[in-house]
Parts: sequence; C-alpha cells; structure tokens
Amino acid sequence: MTTPEMTIGDTNMALKGQMDGLFLKKRLFNFGLPALVLLYLTYVFFAFDVPGLWAKASMDNARTLVSDIYSYKTHVTRDNRSGDVSVAIEGERKGEYPAGEGPAWVEFGETTVVDLEDGYEVRFGPETVEFDIPGYGLIRATPDRRKGIQAELPSEVVPDWINVSKNRMAVKTPNGRLTVTRNRAEVFRYFTGWELFFFTLDSPYYGQGPAELLSRAIAGESGAIWQDFWTNKMWRHQDVAWAIGETLLMAFLGTFGAAMIALPLAFLGTRNFMPIRLIRMVTRRFFDFVRGVDSLIWTVVLARAFGPGPLTGALAILITDTGTFGKIFSEALENVDGKQIEGVASTGAKPIQRYRFGVIPQITPVLLSQVLYFLESNTRSATIIGAITGGGIGLLLTQAIITQKDWEEVSYYIVLIILMVMFMDWFSGWLRKRLIQGDGDGH
Amino acid sequence: MLRIDKLTKTFGDKTAVDAASLEIDKPCMLGIIGRSGAGKSTLLRMLNRLGDASSGSVTFEGREITTLKGREKRAWQSDCAMIFQQFNLVPRMDVVSNVLHGTLNRRSTLATLFNLYPMADIHKAIDILDRLGIAEHAAKRAEALSGGQQQRVAIARALMQDPKIILADEPIASLDPMNAQTVMEALRRIHEEDGRTVIANLHTLDTARRYCDRVIGMRDGRIVFDGLPEQLTTGVAREIYGAGADFSEAATSTEIETLEKTDAHGYTAALAH
Amino acid sequence: MADLSAAPSSVEDIRTAYTEHTQRKRLYGGIMLVLFVALMVAGFRTADDRNAGSFADGVHRIFDYPGEVLSEAAEKAVQLPGHLVHFYPALIETINIAGAATLIGAIFGTLLSLLATRGMAPWPALIPVFRRIQDLFRAIPEIVIALVLIFLLGGGPVPAMIAIAIHTAGALGKLFSEVNENASLKPVEGLNSTGAAWAQRMWLGVIPQVGPNYVSYALLRFEINIRASAILGFVGAGGIGYELKNSMSWGQGRYDEAAAIFILLFGTIVVVDQISGLLRDRLTHGAKL
Repeated sequence: MTTPEMTIGDTNMALKGQMDGLFLKKRLFNFGLPALVLLYLTYVFFAFDVPGLWAKASMDNARTLVSDIYSYKTHVTRDNRSGDVSVAIEGERKGEYPAGEGPAWVEFGETTVVDLEDGYEVRFGPETVEFDIPGYGLIRATPDRRKGIQAELPSEVVPDWINVSKNRMAVKTPNGRLTVTRNRAEVFRYFTGWELFFFTLDSPYYGQGPAELLSRAIAGESGAIWQDFWTNKMWRHQDVAWAIGETLLMAFLGTFGAAMIALPLAFLGTRNFMPIRLIRMVTRRFFDFVRGVDSLIWTVVLARAFGPGPLTGALAILITDTGTFGKIFSEALENVDGKQIEGVASTGAKPIQRYRFGVIPQITPVLLSQVLYFLESNTRSATIIGAITGGGIGLLLTQAIITQKDWEEVSYYIVLIILMVMFMDWFSGWLRKRLIQGDGDGH
Repeated sequence: MLRIDKLTKTFGDKTAVDAASLEIDKPCMLGIIGRSGAGKSTLLRMLNRLGDASSGSVTFEGREITTLKGREKRAWQSDCAMIFQQFNLVPRMDVVSNVLHGTLNRRSTLATLFNLYPMADIHKAIDILDRLGIAEHAAKRAEALSGGQQQRVAIARALMQDPKIILADEPIASLDPMNAQTVMEALRRIHEEDGRTVIANLHTLDTARRYCDRVIGMRDGRIVFDGLPEQLTTGVAREIYGAGADFSEAATSTEIETLEKTDAHGYTAALAH
Repeated sequence: MADLSAAPSSVEDIRTAYTEHTQRKRLYGGIMLVLFVALMVAGFRTADDRNAGSFADGVHRIFDYPGEVLSEAAEKAVQLPGHLVHFYPALIETINIAGAATLIGAIFGTLLSLLATRGMAPWPALIPVFRRIQDLFRAIPEIVIALVLIFLLGGGPVPAMIAIAIHTAGALGKLFSEVNENASLKPVEGLNSTGAAWAQRMWLGVIPQVGPNYVSYALLRFEINIRASAILGFVGAGGIGYELKNSMSWGQGRYDEAAAIFILLFGTIVVVDQISGLLRDRLTHGAKL
C-alpha cells in the first residue's frame, strides 16, 4: 500500500516543480510583453518630443477653433477718416451689408449706436468712441492721427481685459469687443450658429423663415430660391456638392477600373490557371510592385502627367488597387473548387465556357464583396489623395484649413466627409447583401 | 442555512421559475430533476447570481443574496461555486490556470492579469487535481482533455474556490455513462468528505436516486416534489416529467447498470426497476 | 392516373415560368450592365473634363517624370548611398508613427470592441453608443484629424500618430468585434460564476480565444498604417513623406534625393508586407491546429 502512495507523492512533487517552472515562464512572458510595448511607447514618446510639443501647443488656436465652430462674429467698423460705418459678417466682403444698412442692433445716424445688450453699448460719435460697460463705467477714446489714441477710463487702474497703448485700444467684454486704432474703430459681436448658411445678405430670401420660404416656393419662386441657395458665396453649396461628387467619382472609377483590369490579370498569376511558371512569377511581381510603390508615389507621378484634378486621383487609386485586387483575386482563384470546373468540362464545354460557368459563379461573391469593401475605404483614400493632387472635398478642406480662420467651414466639411464615408459604408454593405444574396439563385 | 423564498424569474411574459420555495438546514446533496425547460437551470443561475431574480428572496446564513451588487455579489459567487454542462473552461489555457481561476475573486485583479498566483495556490491546485485523479494532465491545454476530464477540471476549479455551496448545472449531460459516473462520484465524495452542500440539476431519475440525499422535482417553473429519493416512485416521476403511462425511466437514464438491464430485459422491464 | 394527365400541363407551366424567370433575370442583368458601363463612361468623361490635363494628353507623359528622376539618380548614383543614410532617420520616424499608432489604436480598439459586443459588454445598454463611436472613428479620414492637429500642435509626427491611431481604433474595433462575436461565451460565464471581475473575465476568458486573430488583424493594419503615415508626412506631419515633398519642391537637380526616398519607401513597404504576411500566415494556421 505504501509504495503506490509514495510514487503518487513523488510524481506530485515533480509535477509541482514542473508547474512552478511553467508559471515562472508565463509570468515572464506576461510582464515581458507589456513591458516591451511600454518601452517602445516611451521611446516613441521621447523620439517624437511629446513634452516639447506640449509646450509648443497653441491654446489660443484651440480656443479660436472651438469658438469658431459654433459661433460667428459680426464686425461693425467705422473708418475714422471718412466716418463711414459698415457692417459685415465675419468681416468678409462676401458677408457685407449694403452701405447704410445693418442688423436691428445697429442704429445709424450722426452717432451710430451699437447695442451689445445687457446695457453694453458702443457709440461711434463724430469724434469720440464711447463704450458703456455696466458695473465699470464709460470708456471714451478719441483717435487722432497725430496724437494717437486718447483714452479716458473711469478707473485709475487698467483692468486686464482692457489694453491701451498709443496706437491701439482693445476692450474685451463678454458681450463683444471693441478695438480702436488711428484709422478705424471696430466692434465685434458674437452669435451662436452658422450665419448666412442658406442665403447671403444680397439675396431677397435672407432672414426668411421656412414657412415663408415654402409659401414663396409654392408661389413659383422655387427656382430663384434654389438658385440663391445653390450659389451662396459664403458657403458655396454648389462647389461643395461638386467636390463631394468628384471624391466619390475618384473612388468609383478607381475601384471598379482596378477590378476590371485586375480580374483577367489575376488568372495569369494563379497556379491552377497559368501553367507557365515564368508568366505567373512576372504577374505576381507586377502586382507586388504596383502595390509596393503605394498610392502616394503614384499620386505624385500621375499629378506630373495629368495635372491636378479628379482624373489623377482616380488613376492613382486604380493603379494601386490593381495590385491589391490582383493579389486578392489570384488567391481567391487558387481556392476555387476544381470539381465544379470538372463538371462543366465533362459536358464538353470550351475553355471560355468552362471559366464562365465553372469559375465565375464561384468567385463572384468573394470578388464582389472585396470590391465593395474597397469602394468604401477608397472613399476615404480619395479624400486624402484629393488633398494632395488638388481635387474633391479633400482640396476644399485643405484650402479652408490653410486660411486658419474659416473653422466653421472646416467643421462643415468634416461633417460632410464623415457623413459621406458613413453613407458609402452603409451603401456598400447594402449592395453587398443585395448582390450576393441575389447571386444565390444562379447566375 | 440556505433559504429560498418565493423566488420567481420571468422572461417577458414567460415565467421560467414560479415562486419556488426551499429550505436547506444542514449540508446535503440535493438533486433537482425535471424536463428540460422546467426552470432548473434558471433556478441555479439565480442562486449563483449569473441571472437576476424577478422577485422573491434567497438568504444564506441570514444574509440576503438576491440584492447583492458589485464586489459583494462577486464575493458571494466565489462562495457558491458553479459547474456547467459544457464545463465552461477557457479552452486555450492549461489545466492548472483554469483551476486557479477559482481564486480570482480573492486575489487582486492586477496580479491575476499578470499570472501572479501564489506558489501555494498553484500547489493546492495540483493537489486538488490529484484528488480528482487528473493531476498528470496539469500542464495540458484544457481543450486537449476528454469531456469527463474537463468536467473534473471544472470541479477542481469549483473546489479551488473553497465554496460553501457547489451548484452543478447538468454536470453529466454531455458525458458518456462511464465518465458520468466518475463525475457524480467525485461530487458525492466532495459532499461526504468536505461536508459541502452540493445542489445538482440532473435529468435522470436514477442518478438522483443513487447519489442524492434529497430530491426536488420541478415542472413548468414550480417545485412539485420535495422529498427523499425513496419517495420518488414511478408515479411521482410521471407527474414531474408530465409523461403519460408510456413513460419509461430508461429514457432518462445514463447509468451503466440501467443500460445493461435495459439491454437484458427490454424497455418494459426497466420500468419495474 | 390523374397525375399522368396533369403532368404535361404542369411541366408546361414550369417551362413558361422558368423562361419568364430567366428572361427577367437577363433583362435585369442587361440593365445593370448598361447602367454600369454608362456610369463608368460618363464618370470617366466628367473626371477627364474637370482635370487640369486630359487623359489623352497625359497618358504618354506618365513615365516622363519617373524617367527624369531615374536618369538623374543614375547620373549621381555615387551619392545614392549617402542619401539613403541621410533619409534613414525620416524613414524610422514614419515607421514609428505607424507602429505607435497601430499599438495605441489596437489597445483602444480592443476596449471598444469588448464594450460593443453582446455578452461581454459591462454596460449592455451602451453597446449601440460604442458601436457608433467605432463607426465614427472609422469614418474619419486620417488627414482630417492630422490637419486640424497640425494647426493646434504644429507640424511633426504626433498629429499623424494621433490621427492614424483614432482611425485604427475604429477600424480594428469593428474587426475585433466580429472576432468577438465568434468567440465562445462559455468560458466567460464560467469565470463569472467564480466571482471574477470584468477585467479578469475579459483578459482570462476572451483574450486567449481571440488573441491570434487580433494580432493578425493588427499586423494587417500596420501595413496599411505605414502607407498612411507616409501620406500624412506629405501634408506636413513629418517622416519620409515630408522629406519627399521637400525634395520634390526643389525640382530638377534634387531628383536624386527623391529617388532615394522612393527606394526607401518602396523597400520598406515591400519588406513589411512580406514579414507581416508570413507572420499572419503562421498565426492563422497556428490557430487552426
């Protein structure tokens, strides 16, 4: 009785020792892997100089960006030389009110009164600019071409939201800002929203509610309303629509063009359809080369030949994806079930018929789903390539970002891009489902 | 000790467990029998708190179980081990790691994520495996073991929890008769040697009769029988299973002896068993 | 007997029905084909019209630029190794952008996918929310975030890394979710019954099942991200793309530099594709065993 127990005890001890070793190894691995990842990320952290970047980061830019996304400002400007007062949205010419006109909160006259609400009021007098600030008092500033700006503040100490120098006075309040220089005085008043999104000020439909617009449209003005909206100079709806169309066009032409070129070539790269080794190798290396050169280099090369535009982008996508599709299609073709081809061949079918009925029905679902998947991802690529070659919504986006002030337009484009990609994602999924299920009942 | 009072579970307009009441005052081996869909699994899952009860209460040593949340709920789960029909092991992990999962609740989350189990636990796991006769498979992946061995690994995981109650949800339903016997004997031994309460859902009458001290019959979510195994006559079984006069006990049997008898005497003779 | 008399008419019925069915299908197929061809042709002509140079004019010039670059590079072949060494750090930066972005994206993608899979999510009510977050992250082209971040943080690799990481988190999140759907929930339930916390259930119950597939997808993403990181460099985010843009804007006389960059980029993409392809092959085959 004792001997077997002894051996059991012994094997148990041996097992325990073995497991101790196993767990030691496991722990090492468990710590080693995260440690490696952490080490790498730390290296990258310093290689990319993230601490220095943090110091460089511009909080002011961030603030402008965020506030610009959801609000706009209206400039009320007086030219100190002529005394003319003009009102412009975002200070842009495109958003300027006709001379002598403005929103209700600006009252023109010998003294122009700008009402900033809550008792804040700016008055452009013939000589002096006055700013009423509740809880602080009245600020007076008289710009003089020779003596500079003479400012009179109600307090001795200048608060930090007022900045006065000989050439410039700037007052920042929650209700608006006032800047006075030798040449002009300017009030900014901030509003929430995207102004002039539908109609610009020169359109007769500016400021009308949906009900009124609808009644006018029914009265036969729908064409004019559409025209005014479509040619909106501020938001350029027509250009934006074209740009999105161009981007989608690039993706569409590129993807399907690549698929059409890659399919016949793919047969040349498969073991089961191409007995000649050399041709097979050459085809495969061709696919690898085209893929390896990458859409960036193709874009650069093609832009030299064709200039900027959607065609260049479409061709760049087409060439890169020919390589990718060629590879995927060849793999799919190599996995074809030989029995089906044999079955078709046994009826005495000619080679072309063998492909048509023995091969194509088998691979269509695979190819179709791949092509449609790429259609969606190429919509994104087309946006990026457009930014490089100059075409489509990518170009509009980069242009808007370069101005560094039209952030409401940037955010508008970003929203459109995201919606566009999500739509294509949904659409390609829907089409995939329809076509591949429809394929089930023969072909 | 364990008290279940009018425990009810509804899914939409279907009542899976209907006001089940039950009291266990000393450690025992309890078998729950009934057709599939009678609410046996739902009842066990509510005890382990894998599923929430719709109404009613469960108290263990005076403490209310059904309302426990978060950390306390998980602590209760570790006191109340569960064994599943499909073993529910992590197939790609080795046997000892699977057994060590029984300690997860007691150890710090971070340490367990890095496999930092105390050596004593690892050795204890091997001892438990040895007790169940599968120590030699300790270093293998769980998926490499047979069904019966995997179920014993699951029992080892349950023992590793050092639980007050072991719940077993159809522990032998996916096993062949030979392995079923080994597993049931292991559960019985755990009850007898450790004095732990074992509550097992069983779909076969003879298993319940043979291994349990007390049997509960469930039908359509209600407890329709609660008594000693000896009281479980064919008539009572018919009532529980809702079968007609043609009901054959052999149809619910997995025991080797019964099968042998069935072979020898035919189905009708098995009724007399 | 009745069957026999009924049979001819039913065969007749079947025949006409079948003919109708095929004809309708042919018609639909034909319409689809015509529509597709028309779309392709019209699309091509529109793109051609709106392009600065037309296809017919440009097609024979495609190889002019590569020709110039290559011939100049050939002339200055001696300097090529020097250029390769000079631009090597930029290449490393591009690879690092892709590597770090893939790692960070994979970590967040894993979290997102676990939060968005039924049976694994700790807050089932929020599953649709996390799915939408995935979709949103995936839909944002890298360049959008990169350009905005360049405005805020200044040029350099970090904006590109963040931009690629966000897109990667969304894309991998979706792929990982699909893997999760196929994983067995039994081990998770088993761990749940022992009183394991969420992190323990996921790490010990789910990750061992899905790990190989995760790694395989992440490797594929790394290949894609190397290309993305080169492109973002071109718009000002550092790395080899930035050098390419610079050397290109110098124009003739610096084509040897451009050639060196082309070679580095091409070589890297091919090598990474090959290695990752091999690893993925091994992973998927290992999983099958």
